[in-house]
Amino acid sequence: MRIPILKLHEYLLITIQVELDDQTALQFQEDLLNKIHDTGAKGVVIDLTSVDMIDSFIAKVLGDVVRMSKLMGAQVVLTGIQPAVAITLIDLGISMREVPTALDLEQGLDKLRLELEG
Amino acid sequence: MNIQSCVEVCNEWDIVSARQLGRNMAKELGFGNVDQARITTAISELARNIYLYAGNGKICIEAAEKMGKRGLKIIATDNGPGIKDIRKVMEDGYTTSGGLGAGLPGVKRLMDEFMIDSVVGSGTEIIATKWLR
Amino acid sequence: MNAETMNVIQMKRSRIKELWEQELGGFKTETSAMTPHMYNELNREFLDLLMNHVSLGDISEDGTLERFFDKVLRANMPLEYITQGLQTYRRIILEVVLEEDLNKDVAIEIYREVDYWMDPILNKVVTNSSRLWERTVSIQKSALLELSAPLIPVFQHISVMPLIGTIDTERAKLIMENLLEGVIQYRSQVVLIDITGVPVVDTMVAHHIIQAADAVRLLGSTCILVGIRPEIAQTIVSLGIDLSLFPTRSTLQKGMEQALDITNQQIVKEK
Repeated sequence: MRIPILKLHEYLLITIQVELDDQTALQFQEDLLNKIHDTGAKGVVIDLTSVDMIDSFIAKVLGDVVRMSKLMGAQVVLTGIQPAVAITLIDLGISMREVPTALDLEQGLDKLRLELEG
Repeated sequence: MNIQSCVEVCNEWDIVSARQLGRNMAKELGFGNVDQARITTAISELARNIYLYAGNGKICIEAAEKMGKRGLKIIATDNGPGIKDIRKVMEDGYTTSGGLGAGLPGVKRLMDEFMIDSVVGSGTEIIATKWLR
Repeated sequence: MNAETMNVIQMKRSRIKELWEQELGGFKTETSAMTPHMYNELNREFLDLLMNHVSLGDISEDGTLERFFDKVLRANMPLEYITQGLQTYRRIILEVVLEEDLNKDVAIEIYREVDYWMDPILNKVVTNSSRLWERTVSIQKSALLELSAPLIPVFQHISVMPLIGTIDTERAKLIMENLLEGVIQYRSQVVLIDITGVPVVDTMVAHHIIQAADAVRLLGSTCILVGIRPEIAQTIVSLGIDLSLFPTRSTLQKGMEQALDITNQQIVKEK
């Protein structure tokens, strides 16, 4: 299964709408980095509104994606993390402090624009 | 009378089936949104441990009852190499697989009760329970 | 109780009464607002019930004794009054019986009888009253949970959560859930957590607050901790707790200024 990556000007938008298994998560990581390379995107928004569970493996993949993208010159923002997901992550002891977040897609884009342009 | 549902774990896809089973049962038992996520995540962690360290094993889920409380019990068993130093794996940040090291202590925090029994060379059994509030 | 024992007790009624008043007259209560007259009435009723009850077995057999104990506890009299009263009664009866000229075997038999009669009553009293307290405690506990931590939207994108009272693990979980649900509901970009009303911030409480702030950040909102009094700042630093990861302010007002800043809003005075 592949997660679609949309391009909007110099940003990439991803809405994760499937239950993430390990393989899909790793495939997504690879696809995204390739897309950043191909398009030269400066910012990425990954929307997790429909994701109802993040375990330590997926958290690690997401954290890695953020760091890897940054190395390639693209700033990533995670948006729409649900309260239940946030609470379980905190219980697991994962606070992802270095990962930028925003409430929704719109605010995620605003945040990127502010950081990249202003 | 307790109905138990089990999922054999021997590849990555089984991790997904195990947690889907867990979420459905948690929902059925009347757990709230947040506890459903806690249970599902705990199952995911336990199933992944089996897949990564033991190769195969199984996750069983059943309704639990104790002193008027109702809840959900996860039983994770494998015939893998076992855990040499249980105290060490229960420390935060300890990992042998390059993960986040949130594994078992994380599961313990997600659930209300947590028991681990492991014999080197013959396998590991973990029983974790969450009670309805 | 057997007939002989009951006989002795009934015959000695006035002597028992005399001793009872002597003994219980000295029992002082501090918690109850009872006049001496009311107190004497209570003692008299207590004794009457006990005298009538001698012929009965279990405490709940006719229910009068049980109802009386219930009334006493609800009137805020200490449980001690009942236990002491029962023990006094046992002592008096033995005293009275021994004043009779009985042979040793009969006296011992009576002693046993009284013991067997008394113990189940005492047990029942303790069980009943502890159940009453357990119920009170659990009612108060849920009342306390209901009082817990609402998230209040103040300006667009800015909400405040005032915390009042001690924060234990159970409350911390509830606070966290309210907080996160509220952030989503009001689309709050900034949440001010006000700890002015939290009496003590120890390592545990700080840990809960840090976790809440981390969770809020995961949702994509910012947490500002306000209401940090000088003594709280002192304990936080001396305990070695690191709160530098998220913004803190001494007062709600200062925090609100920063929140307006973050959300690009300002309050202007109209001319």
